[in-house]
Amino acid sequence: MDLHARLAAVAGLCLLPLLPLGVRLTHLQVLQGSELRSRVAGEVLRTTTESFPRAEIRDRRGRLMAQSVPFWSCFAERSRLRDRPAVARELGRALGMPEDEVLRRLQDPARFPVVKEDLKPEELSALSAARLDDKRLMEYGVGVQLRYRRFYPNGDLARGVLGLVGTDQDGLAGLELTFASRLKGQPRRLAYVRDGSGRSIYLDAQSPAELPRPLRITIDRDIQFHAEEVLRQTDRQFRAQGGMIVVLDPETSEILAMAADPADPLRNVMIQDTYEPGSTFKTVTAAAALNEGLVKESETFFCENGSYAIAPGVVISDHEPAGTLTLQGILEKSSNIGAAKVGERVGAMRFYRYSRAFGFDIKTGVALPGETAGEMKPLTGLTRVVLAASSYGYGIGVSALQMANAYNALAGGGVLHEPAIACDAPEDAAGEAPCRRPTAVRRVVSEATARTLSRMLEGVVESGTGLTARIPGYRIAGKTGTARKLDRRTGKYSTTSYLASFVGFLPLSRPRWTILVVIDEPQGQYYGAQVAAPVFAALGRRLLAMAGVPPDQPAAVAASRP
Amino acid sequence: MRPQPADASQRRRVLLLAAGAFFLMAMVWQHVQATRLGYRVEKVRQQILAMRCANGALRMQLESQLSPANLSLQARTHLGMSLASPESLRSLDGPASAARTGLLQRLISRARRALSGTSPA
Repeated sequence: MDLHARLAAVAGLCLLPLLPLGVRLTHLQVLQGSELRSRVAGEVLRTTTESFPRAEIRDRRGRLMAQSVPFWSCFAERSRLRDRPAVARELGRALGMPEDEVLRRLQDPARFPVVKEDLKPEELSALSAARLDDKRLMEYGVGVQLRYRRFYPNGDLARGVLGLVGTDQDGLAGLELTFASRLKGQPRRLAYVRDGSGRSIYLDAQSPAELPRPLRITIDRDIQFHAEEVLRQTDRQFRAQGGMIVVLDPETSEILAMAADPADPLRNVMIQDTYEPGSTFKTVTAAAALNEGLVKESETFFCENGSYAIAPGVVISDHEPAGTLTLQGILEKSSNIGAAKVGERVGAMRFYRYSRAFGFDIKTGVALPGETAGEMKPLTGLTRVVLAASSYGYGIGVSALQMANAYNALAGGGVLHEPAIACDAPEDAAGEAPCRRPTAVRRVVSEATARTLSRMLEGVVESGTGLTARIPGYRIAGKTGTARKLDRRTGKYSTTSYLASFVGFLPLSRPRWTILVVIDEPQGQYYGAQVAAPVFAALGRRLLAMAGVPPDQPAAVAASRP
Repeated sequence: MRPQPADASQRRRVLLLAAGAFFLMAMVWQHVQATRLGYRVEKVRQQILAMRCANGALRMQLESQLSPANLSLQARTHLGMSLASPESLRSLDGPASAARTGLLQRLISRARRALSGTSPA
């Protein structure tokens, strides 16, 4: 046998054991390949969803209002828990907790009792070292999970607007609910394999991630803070049941502040509740009369010296008896009788049309949940008596936002805009510029009427019931309101519970803010002029100083200086 | 001297075997590296999450400190500040006399007046 043959024989003998191996491999790879691959995929290949923290909410200048903060939580799965004392011992050691405490938590009747939240990095490492991480989840029924907590860095500031989220990070109220899907984003699906020791190797993303972008809102954090502070101070001073302040931008109807006391994240009283506006509604009656040319500025109305029997058994009275008054005088003295007579002149049809044109009895369309349309008698229900009462703001229900927006239309030259709460512009464009293109709803009154009415409202502040809203050096237009509250028990108007309000805009030469103040059931003093108008002035002073707006009536400021 | 045909084919076989072995080795190496990288990626992911938690907690503290309520409290209690009023606003492009109340400003004003030869109003 030559050398080649011998070498071939040796090589053959060496390779012979590999033959069955090759046959087996071919059998596994080729004949059973697809079946085995699917079995393996089922056992080690997993998919998981990776969710992202809920998007931040920022104010109009890009300052943080809400943020989701991640944290690690250690939990147990009740149905899989075995040998609780042993688990409690190991967990207690890893998490630095007393064994009894861990055991007590493990015995919680919840399906997934939480052992500890806000795990520190060293506690996470200790859990891994104790082999109580994911690998032993099946065995012990214990695991760790990344969770998110919604955090509002400014405390209760604007909580009625922001709303709140549940433990699963779903929006429950306010903006958190309205923009729930936008804030939450789209979680992505990831494929991964898990090895024998329980460790994961991520393979690929199966669906693209849609990272939620921050939501910028029209609220100005500083204005909101000042509004809430002055409101709290007033409520304390007058031991009031509560109060509301709405601040709007007259040019765009952007909501700059919405303050309520007490603050309730589940309820935004400024859009969800209605109140009888009282005298602040006289402006609507006057606007209808002026715009339709039914009343001339110089025309006078006899105000019956304070008592007017409009129908048998129905007497309208004024808080301050007056004789003959012009339309401006009616607004300045806040005469109910004068307003009722102007309302009669306007007529039910026009009054109804103008009230709706100003946005009453219709939802404003603001992007906040649970908005009320308000309450107003239908046209057929506007009898002589009802029309007279409605002319001075009784028998109708309005939301605070509706009332502020109606005055905002006057401040903006007679055009009603849709109030805005969310900005169009991207988050990085935060700045002084309007953050949303204004949406004009309709022209309510002519520019000339708006100007005339604004001048009359200036008279209310300069020489009428709104004297306490004055700020030396600045021209202000506004109207006081004092409404008796309806006693739900007796069905009659209370003689002890009042709602004091003031709504106006400043500075009149170029309105920057429309402010509505409503104080619910103030004790002691209760007139809008005594309770709400000073709040308007206090907030107005803060806003003017903050924005550095120079006086538009410099002579008055010079005269007021000592 | 030219190589024999048998030697050439043998060398080719050896080369093929070597290439095959090298290819197999490369495949094994790549698989091992991919697995190792996978573990590293997972570890880094965990680190990122832990850092995100820590960062979130720190940011939470910072934003709480910067909240208007806290700033206002600090300004009033620790710095003795009070709210500005509109009366305290001064227009810089208006008459400057109100702003020239400091000693240096008064000296400058006096010097200017002396140079221009005007007397104070």
